[in-house]
Amino acid sequence: MGALAIKNVTKSFGDTHILKGINIDIEAGEFLILVGPSGCGKSTLMNIIAGLESPTSGEVCIADRIVNEVAPKDRDIAMVFQSYALYPTMNVRQNIAFGMETRGVPKAEQNEVIARVAKMLQIDHLLDRKPSALSGGQRQRVAMGRALARNPKLFLFDEPLSNLDAKLRVEMRVEIKQLHQRLKTTIVYVTHDQIEAMTLGDKIAVMKDGVIQQFGSPEDIYERPANLFVAGFIGSPSMNFLPCHLVEQNGQVGVTLQGVEAPKFIALQDRAGLKERVGQKVILGVRPEQWDVENTPDALVCKVKITEPTGPDTMIYSEVNGVEMIARVHPRAASGPGTTLPLVLDVKKAVLFDPETELRIA
Amino acid sequence: MAETRFWRAALYAALVFAALYYLLPLYVMLTTSVKSIEEIRAGNLLSLPAGITFDAWSKAWSTACTGVSCNGLSGYFWNSVQMVIPAVAISTMLGAINGYVLSKWRFRGSEVVFALILFGVFMPFQVLLLPMAQTLGLFGLANTTAGLVFVHVVCGTASTTLFFRNYYVGIPDELIKAARLDGAGFWRIFWRIILPMSTPIIMVTLIWQFTQIWNDFLFGVVFASGDAQPITVGLNNLANTSTSVKEYNVDMAAALIAALPTIVVYVLAGKYFVRGLTAGAVKG
Repeated sequence: MGALAIKNVTKSFGDTHILKGINIDIEAGEFLILVGPSGCGKSTLMNIIAGLESPTSGEVCIADRIVNEVAPKDRDIAMVFQSYALYPTMNVRQNIAFGMETRGVPKAEQNEVIARVAKMLQIDHLLDRKPSALSGGQRQRVAMGRALARNPKLFLFDEPLSNLDAKLRVEMRVEIKQLHQRLKTTIVYVTHDQIEAMTLGDKIAVMKDGVIQQFGSPEDIYERPANLFVAGFIGSPSMNFLPCHLVEQNGQVGVTLQGVEAPKFIALQDRAGLKERVGQKVILGVRPEQWDVENTPDALVCKVKITEPTGPDTMIYSEVNGVEMIARVHPRAASGPGTTLPLVLDVKKAVLFDPETELRIA
Repeated sequence: MAETRFWRAALYAALVFAALYYLLPLYVMLTTSVKSIEEIRAGNLLSLPAGITFDAWSKAWSTACTGVSCNGLSGYFWNSVQMVIPAVAISTMLGAINGYVLSKWRFRGSEVVFALILFGVFMPFQVLLLPMAQTLGLFGLANTTAGLVFVHVVCGTASTTLFFRNYYVGIPDELIKAARLDGAGFWRIFWRIILPMSTPIIMVTLIWQFTQIWNDFLFGVVFASGDAQPITVGLNNLANTSTSVKEYNVDMAAALIAALPTIVVYVLAGKYFVRGLTAGAVKG
């Protein structure tokens, strides 16, 4: 059953087009991530799903029901906000109860729900406190508790972790994931953090300028980015974009890469549609971890400019084909700035983009 | 070291001098109001009273002449009370609702509406006298306390709207969104979420409006006559009524009676005034 379907939704304010035809369809129980840089329209889309804003055109369906004309409170949704939006004059118990009170849920049932939710999120001991007496993580839990009390068909999370410090953010991320696995409720989650997107999502919609650049599984998005933007946005450090020419050598189509020695030909095997493009400019997309330090004749010798040890890996900054290139290598294989390092490319995983259209071609 | 000490001492001396300078009129009023008229005539303006008597206070309250009638200020005082309570309450309430709408339920043109209301804050009230007299006559409210309440509500709502609107702008919109998702409507959000958060700004508005309306002379003298005149007009009449001798002690007592309620309100709600003015500076 379709849990959420967004059909050709647009949103404009006069001549400013915030959303330009959004289409998304997810199944019940899926975890959808809307990710993109600020100003891409993801929060507007979230507000449209919640019913806090109405689309200029298009349809929003929740659980196979068109909800364009349905008030937010009647959409059977619950939302967790970036600022948590806890009612400051009410204690935790009243915060969780407010929605049920408005809906006319009997007092006994309210108490039951509060007890259940508080136990699930381990906030039992905080029920009589005001939000101002809670830490950031506790406020986050209360905000989730308020959403859980609704027991909705659809959860909406609007950048819920961006106000937390780094350590707490990782903890809460895991907790949200656990919660989803336990409740199996459909979740729509807005973030600008690509790590949250990758770790949490079943489906990711990468947005930019009011357009969905790519909609797919995290693996799809990471391994087969649709265009340069998606490739650069997802993954940290970013994918390296190396400008090349497609050439043919000994019947094989490939590209040449230049480090500090003579240019090396790298054959790109088994890729459809490359033969026609021989002679054209392309962009070779290589993720930092697709390089390995290996002393073979095929290796591309690069000059190390800066090293960044992160602990498990070391980032090597060097230059290939005239642009900066980052390789993620094992700390023991790394060498210091000024030295050279033989790098071997995992060609199968590298992707090619058309520099004009910015779309992936292979 | 010695030099900083010297400047510190100089600074405090200047501050103490300024404080005394500003407190001096109050001191003179207080001491004069409890002196007998003989002592005032014989003695020094700044001397402490030889004996304390409240005769001047009771005369100012109940028997001093204000024009032709000689019933003291008590009637005027109650007129003012009857005027100030509804006027403050209504203008504060309207300001809260206006501010709530203009900050949290913006509509097409709401900024223009706000700009027009702001205009009311800076408008000199003299321009309003003639049209308002016409309007009050039309409503049948001329020369009544209800008429004065109406004028003060109309003139005060501009400021109260400004206060509340600016306070509410600082409340995150997400709170309203959360409440809407929880099923609360316009009024429920106002009563249950917004108003309980408004204590500091309500106090600021109450003090401001109370002081403005209680101290108003212009509207009181123009739009009220006889039975409905407020205390400021009464005080003026009392001080201007010439009898054989000038009773300074009665004048001072009357002035203190007229000033007392605003002082009481400030003492009771003053801590909120400072808190309200700095609200939002420190977020919990």
